[in-house]
Order: sequence, then structure tokens, then C-alpha cells
Amino acid sequence: MLPTESIRRVLDAGLTKGADLAEIYLENKESLSLTLDEGRLEKATQGNDIGGGVRVFYGNNAAYAYTDDLTEESLIEAAGVAAAAAENANNAQVCADLTKRESPVVSRIERPFEEMSTQEKAGILREMDEVTRQHSPHIVSVQCGYTETRRRVWVYNSEGVWAEDDRAFIEFQGQVAAQKGDVRQSSATGVGGQEGLEFFDDRDPVAMMPEAADTALLMLDARPAPAGEMPVVITNGWGGVLFHEACGHCMEADFITKGASAYTGLVGEKVGPDFLTAYDDGTIPGRRGTMRFDDEGAPTNRTMLIENGILKEYMWDLTEARRAGRASTGNGRRQTFRDMPMPRMTNTFIDAGPHDPEEIIGSVKKGLYAKRLGGGQVEIGRGDYVFTVTEGWLIEDGKLTAPVRGATLVGNGPETLRLMDMIGTDMALDPGRGMCGKGQWARVSVGQPTVRVPKLTVGGTE
Amino acid sequence: MDYLEFAKDVVARAVERGVEAEAYISVGQNTSVNVDRGEVEKLSQAGSKGLGVRVIRDGKMGYAYTSDFGAGSVGKTIEAAVNLADVADGDEFRSLPAPQPLLEEDLDIYDEAVVALPIGRKVEMARRIEKAALRYDERVVLTNRCTLISQHGTVAIANSKGVAGSYDKSFIGGFVMAMAADENDRSVAFGFDFGSRLADFKPTAIGKDAARKAVGMLGGKPVPTQRASVVYSPMAATSVLGALSRALGADAMQRNRSFLEGKIGETVAADLVTVLDNGRLPGGIATRPFDDEGVPTGATRLIDEGVLQTALHDHYTATRDGTASSTGNANRRGHASMPTLDASNFYFQPGQETPEEVIGGVEKGLYVESVMNTASINPISGDYSISAKGYWIENGELSHPVNEVTIALPMQELLHNVKAVGNDLTFVPMMGALGSPTIRVDGVMIGGSG
Repeated sequence: MLPTESIRRVLDAGLTKGADLAEIYLENKESLSLTLDEGRLEKATQGNDIGGGVRVFYGNNAAYAYTDDLTEESLIEAAGVAAAAAENANNAQVCADLTKRESPVVSRIERPFEEMSTQEKAGILREMDEVTRQHSPHIVSVQCGYTETRRRVWVYNSEGVWAEDDRAFIEFQGQVAAQKGDVRQSSATGVGGQEGLEFFDDRDPVAMMPEAADTALLMLDARPAPAGEMPVVITNGWGGVLFHEACGHCMEADFITKGASAYTGLVGEKVGPDFLTAYDDGTIPGRRGTMRFDDEGAPTNRTMLIENGILKEYMWDLTEARRAGRASTGNGRRQTFRDMPMPRMTNTFIDAGPHDPEEIIGSVKKGLYAKRLGGGQVEIGRGDYVFTVTEGWLIEDGKLTAPVRGATLVGNGPETLRLMDMIGTDMALDPGRGMCGKGQWARVSVGQPTVRVPKLTVGGTE
Repeated sequence: MDYLEFAKDVVARAVERGVEAEAYISVGQNTSVNVDRGEVEKLSQAGSKGLGVRVIRDGKMGYAYTSDFGAGSVGKTIEAAVNLADVADGDEFRSLPAPQPLLEEDLDIYDEAVVALPIGRKVEMARRIEKAALRYDERVVLTNRCTLISQHGTVAIANSKGVAGSYDKSFIGGFVMAMAADENDRSVAFGFDFGSRLADFKPTAIGKDAARKAVGMLGGKPVPTQRASVVYSPMAATSVLGALSRALGADAMQRNRSFLEGKIGETVAADLVTVLDNGRLPGGIATRPFDDEGVPTGATRLIDEGVLQTALHDHYTATRDGTASSTGNANRRGHASMPTLDASNFYFQPGQETPEEVIGGVEKGLYVESVMNTASINPISGDYSISAKGYWIENGELSHPVNEVTIALPMQELLHNVKAVGNDLTFVPMMGALGSPTIRVDGVMIGGSG
């Protein structure tokens, strides 16, 4: 993006006041988004966001300044602002030789977005809309969206790191509302990946719409969910969002090093059943959390978080790794050049276990099956979480008997993981709609097999 | 640089392409300071700028944005917006608003003292937040993400109908998470405060508030599943307001996406309930002279003593309605987004009782201090089920802490079941600018143990 000599001069400017590490992050993001509502292509937005920042580390602390003007002069000015914060440090570092890093992870952009016209992309949204409206006369609202993002990043630091990544995201979303009399219900869906137009080779955004419509229609006649403690079976794939929220966040190193996480100091300890193994894997081709390098130039990894119920590892970014005197696991991510990186998940999942998914449901006498989950939230310090069940079913005598609406799951992440007593063989990753918020947004993927928690609080109205 | 003149120039260039055009410019300076045990752990500062161009031709709309104000980039941005408008479908109600007289009044949204605040003072304020939390009680074991944010900037909007305006805005805010622990339990709570004026900003109160809540919740347990009265703290009550503000948007009503659709003129809540939106509330977080498409902001009474009066409107929904006017509620999340309809300072009108009197009126029930997952509340169906923390009320007084419970009741019923409204209106600027006094709602389903 800039000549290597310029990069070195900016890094040197970052080191002038005695900092021990200087880093440059440059970004060029282009995006297009289309929204179809009431059958009309209503909103079409296109834009370009370019900028970069200089981060300067001194001891465990860091200062950052950024600019949307990517010239050597502006970056040197930013480096000066950041360096000033390190004025009490007294290192005399100079920039090492920059060597471009290679990564075994493939950036999957076989067919760039330009190979399809905006009209054609809009055409897919029209098809999604039509299929949904024709599905049932009770469908009263359909919204469909398409977003493509091409994000190129360059990271350099004074220890000689030079890493480049080129990430293409493609995603379709749909929201459906159904109505009978005065009762309205809605359902949302989405599919996406980190890839180019080859996305269409094995994914079909049109096909997900009738399924979403079915959920909204089903919920129109569903009875209110029960309230209280009961066994809960959670679906495979997107159901993994519960592990992501309730446990994954508690394994991110920033809360760990502060002692602010429920999992602080528990590496080597038993945190779940013997048949529970879980990973964070930023290297799976085409997934939303996949990167060749993270936003600090570290290669991404397949990190085993839990092996046979034993906590093995946390997720680290550069800041926290420096604090702990170890290496990053490639989990340093930032939303844009305006943000400082922090430890974030990539593609996080519970691996397959020993139980037949049908037997898991069959084992429950009276409980809830969470077939579709909405969003959730966790309080990282204690691990308390809450989740919305957008399509729930009563389990009675081992059978799914009636759909229920308005259910919420609450619990404590570490406790839920300890209690989890059945894990299915049917591990699957989600279809690609995960967006994780932790002060900054990051695209993520989640996954799990069907799992059973013998006792969980369900928040319904009955 | 005169941003309003620049916006007008962009509009003039776009109009040459035979379109209606609007330019939105946002320029700002941001500082964020993060302290940990007195040390500046993270510090970030920079300026940022952006331009968004909206064009409409034959009711077809296109939007493009850039952060590069160079002539070449502006030309490309206009070109992209015009091309996208060609792809979009026409809508007879789609147009840009005509200028309306702007009121000359001081809205108290720009404070020179915030702009002039040196970095050293910001660091010191962040330290005061942390210190107040740690000193509150020896059971407060640590703080996390202790942050001070200050911003100031300019917004300028011009369109081809003659709208032209700009204003300056300042912002200062702080946030902290406090963790308390004893032998048996640990608990976490947040404190925060945001505003336009430096004089109103109280860093010490942020730390104390987080610490008080964290310590108070130690030993919290679920209560048995039951139907009971719930008293919401102002912060917890915003869970109701957020979904209500979306359901009251004319876009949701016109498109069959609101549980309040078709109910204007009907009683939708208890007569204690009056809901207002005021974009001109002096010093409010969402206060500004005109909205994000240049329409003057105003005060709107949405629910008056339980009766639904009107919806929130932007220029599009008002045009489509035919008889309504825009209530000045077009909003953007920065230059990269088209305006969408959103509430401004949106709140329950306070009543007469003190919060203590509201709690005192409940024999057995739950006082909810904080809630989670409010984004899941569905403004289409009215489904409302979230998690809550707080204290059990016994004979009109707070007794033991309660944790890991859900509270649920359809919004339609919840609004009718409001039984008391306090006099302590407080704005909670975490999600827009929602404000509520302490309120009591009867017949809420509490999901807990058993």
C-alpha cells in the first residue's frame, strides 16, 4: 500500500519517545448493500472506507492514533501523537527488517463480486421476496438484504512483522412477519461466508426464506412458553451461539489477565463433561471468522479451548500476550482502523460427542427443545447469560409435542457447561449469520452438535 | 473548511446529473482513555470525517459515502449514488424535504469546556471513576474497561430543495465495570454517565454507582417461578421503552411490523402512561436543531394518558401517510448510513410518587435494577422476555438480592398493567436516549427456580 521505506519511517517515528513496539494497521474497505422491502429495492448503498493507525506499546500499555488520510506525512503525525503517550519509557528500539509473512490459510475469493451486476444481485433479493410471499397468505411483511464487503488489511510492526490479508464477505439476510387477526410473529434468517461469488456454488439464499416463513407461521399458533427450571435440548449449528456467549467470552484473554473472568486460573481444571471438546478455529476456509492473519499480523490458529472436559487454552491478542509473556493465538481483531484490537473469537464450536441426537430428545420426559435461537448476551465477569428461543418446542415423553413462543433461556455459562450431560454426534457450523458485539462488531461463526442441559431456567409466560 | 459550503457544493455537482440530491457531512475529534489500576492502559485519539450523498430520481434512491473529501473522490461518490438510484425501484412517496424555518434557541449541546479539555484532565477523570469504584467497599476487587470518552464535531446537511444547516455538538462520557467478591460469590455491575456538558459530568458518581450495584448483588439467587408485581428502576424500564419506540415508528406501522399498528386513537396503556419524544430537550443526548435529513426537531406526545396519539415520522413516512408531518426523527449512524426513522429523547412522563413510595406500595414483588438482552424484545409481536437482577420486595422494602431470573409479559399487557409511575425521570443514554422514572407493573411472569 505504501512503500516499505515509508512504513519504516512511520514505525521509527512511533519509537522515537522510547516505546518498545510500534505497529501500523492500514485498511481499505469497500462495501455494497441492498435492501428490498415491500417488494421494492428500496435502499442501495455503496462506499469506501480507507484509513490507518499507529499503535505504540510501552510496557503493558498502548496508545493509538489514526487517520483517514493514508500518506506518509499523516501516518508520521499519527505516530507522533501515539508516541507522545510513551514519553516516560526509555527504550531505544529501532525498526527491524520487514519480512512479508506467509500463511497456509487460503483467502477464498475465486470469483470477485464485480463479476455479477448489481441488478443480478437485486434479482436474487426479488426471488427471495417472491418465494416468501407465495409461501402463505399470512405473510404480511418481507425484508431481504444483501451485503458484500471487501476488506484489505496491511499490518507492520517494528519487530519485522509484515502481513497482508484480503477478506471478502458476502451475506444475505431475511426477515419475515406473519399475521392472523391481531397476532403477529416474526422470524429472521441469514446465510453468509468469507468468500467471493463462489458462495453460490453450495449456498442458496432463496431456500432459507420459506424455512424462516414457516417459523413465523408456526409461532402464530404456538402457545406461550412455560416458565421455570426444566431440561433443555439445544439444536446443532447455530445453537453453538450459547457456547460462544456463555463460555467463549469468558475465555478471551482480556478478562482473564485482569482476573475478571469466571475462567481465570482454571487452565488444566475440569470445566465440562469428559466428552466435551471445543475449539476456536480461525483457519476454516470460507467461514465468517476466518482470516489468514488477525488484525495484528499474527497467523490464525486452530486453538483447542477444552479437551475432554479440561480447560486447555484461552484466546489471546498481542496486548494480553505481551502482558502474560507469551505468544498471541491470532485472536486480535478490530472492527475498523478507528478501533484498537482486542481478543475476539473467530469460528468457535463444540466438537462432536457420543450421543445420538434422536436419543437426546428421546431422553427428556418434560422439557424444552430450542430449535431456533435468536441473539443473546453474557456478563463476562460471572458468566451469567440470557438467550432468546425464536422457535421452541415442548418435549413430552421424549417427543416434540407443541411449538411454544416467547421463550428465553437464562443461566450461568460455566455452570451450564458443567451440567451439560449429552452431546450429539451431529456437529455442524452455523449457516453464516453471526455478528458478535463486544464494544466493536466482529463477524464470527459458531457451531455445536445437539446438546442437553438437564436443568436450565426458561423464561416464558405460562 | 466551511463544511456547509462544501455540502452545498456537493449538492450542486450532483444536481447536474438530473437528480434531487442531499449531502450529509460529519466531522469529529474523538479521544478515548482507558485506565487500569491508575495506569493509562489504552489511549486513542484522532479526527475523522465523512460525506454521504443521497440522490433521488423518479422516486428511486441511491446512496454512497466516502471519507476522502478530494474532488476526484467526491465525483466518484456522486457517480456511485446515481448508478445505484438507477438500479433501485421507484416509490412515489420518496423525495427530499423542503426547508422549514429553524428556531433560534440554545439547545445546550455544545460545550467549549469539553472541546478545550486537555488530555491530562481526561486521564485524571478516568482515574477518578476507577478510584471511586475501588474505594466504595473492600469487596470491590477490581474494575475493568474503565473508560473516558470525549467527542466534539460538526454536522452539516444541504439538499437541492434548499435545506442548509449545520451545528456543533460535544459529548463527554464515562463507563466502568466493577466486580465485587466475597467468600461465596462474585458479581459484576456497570456504571456510566454521558452528556454534552462538562459541568454536569460526575466521574465519581459513575464509579460509586457501579460499585454499589456490584456489592449489593453479592449472594443473589433466583426466586421461585411466580407471577408478581415488578418495580423497574429507570435503567431497567428502558427495556420497555426501546421496543416501544420501534413499535411507535411510522415505518413499522405502515409496513405491518408493529404490535401497535392500527391502534391510533385507542387506549393502549394504563392512564398513568404518557410517552413523549423530544428532540429539543435542552442538553439531551439526542438533542439537535434538525434531524439527519434537515427537518427541524420537535416534541411529540405519542401516548397521552394511555391513548395512542400518533407515530414517529420522518419525511418519507409523513409523505406516505398523506396527513402527517415529519416529527424530525430521521437518524443516521454516521455518514455511511442512510437516514432511518428513530426516536430522539424518548421517555415516560414522570408522576408524583417518589421511588420509595412506588416500592413501598408493593407487598411482595421484584425490584429490577438491571436487565439483559433487551434487543430480543420484539416490536412486531410484542413478545417481551428478558433476564433481570435486583432485589426481592417484602412488605414494601427491598430485602435479599435476586439473580438469574427472567421477567416476561407481552408488551400489550405490560403497558396496561402499569400501576405506578415515580417522579424520578432519569435518562439512560446507553441505547439512544431513553428516559424513565421508577415504574411498577403488575402481573409479570417471573421465571426462576422450580
